[in-house]
Amino acid sequence: MSTSKTVLIVDDSRVSRLMARQYIAGLRAGWIVEEAGTGEEALIKARQVSPDLILMDVNMPGMGGIAAAEQLRQELPAVPISLLTANVQSATRERASALGIGFVGKPITEARIAQLLATLEA
Amino acid sequence: MFNLSELENDALIEIFNIGVGQAAASMSAIVNEAVRMSVPSISFIPRAEAARQLGKSAGLQERICGVSQHFAGAFETEAILMFPEDKSLEIVRLMVGEAVPLKELTEMEQEAMCEIGNIMLNSCVGTLANIFQHELQGSLPQYHVGTSDQILTAGGSQAASVVLMLHIDFVLERHQIHGYVAFVLDISALRDMKQQINLYIARAMGQGQG
Repeated sequence: MSTSKTVLIVDDSRVSRLMARQYIAGLRAGWIVEEAGTGEEALIKARQVSPDLILMDVNMPGMGGIAAAEQLRQELPAVPISLLTANVQSATRERASALGIGFVGKPITEARIAQLLATLEA
Repeated sequence: MFNLSELENDALIEIFNIGVGQAAASMSAIVNEAVRMSVPSISFIPRAEAARQLGKSAGLQERICGVSQHFAGAFETEAILMFPEDKSLEIVRLMVGEAVPLKELTEMEQEAMCEIGNIMLNSCVGTLANIFQHELQGSLPQYHVGTSDQILTAGGSQAASVVLMLHIDFVLERHQIHGYVAFVLDISALRDMKQQINLYIARAMGQGQG
């Protein structure tokens, strides 16, 4: 049995956060889901809640997901981060790879969230 | 007037066909049902005429909800996803499922439509960028409601300016909801895209630089 973990969802779209939250709740009852709507909020939230996994949108107002992920990579080097984005361009995948973070394209589906959560239990 | 050779025109249609196929797959995953898309139609026409044709083909004399994104890089384009306004709540319901109460769903309708537009348009444009091997930077999605003319004007182009209108119809088969995707490029953007098409053709023929 898995112990409770905390997932931080960073996305400016409320509906995307809602969907990711619903899928996580269905797949891992008892896991804690925290949310941030911007890159700046993500930095603050991550320091507060010490997440076990960070799911990061790319195209957001203010600090984008790549910049936020880059900073979080330095602050929390042991925490897995994955982009979860509509931007499916090779250039974005390559940036993720260069930063040592994951990449999953939108739309958010249960199968894609399950794949991300499974990386914590591998 | 701007001209494309037969080969360039063919390549343009083929590239957008691939992009649209990816967008259809994304839309299908969002709403969990089959999505059928038409072959893109291309016309070089004044922006006002593009709006008139769009309204006519959509069978929409009244209001459309549209999500637009501006993309810049190897070429610039305004990409627009459009649905009949009265179908948007139904589409959002298909996206989020039955768990969300109607009041909350209504509150997040615009935001959800923006996210659907973001996913579909990026899916298509991202595929184009990968084919052209050049990154395209997208703006945040903008939500609009109005006539087809108002939606196309929201991108900032003048009524008399000539645009390339790439127009694709799609239908959610089970719910019979029709939508439309349009890409508007002005003459300058068109020249940039033509260059990219020719690089693509050269690569396809083994004459490219890699």
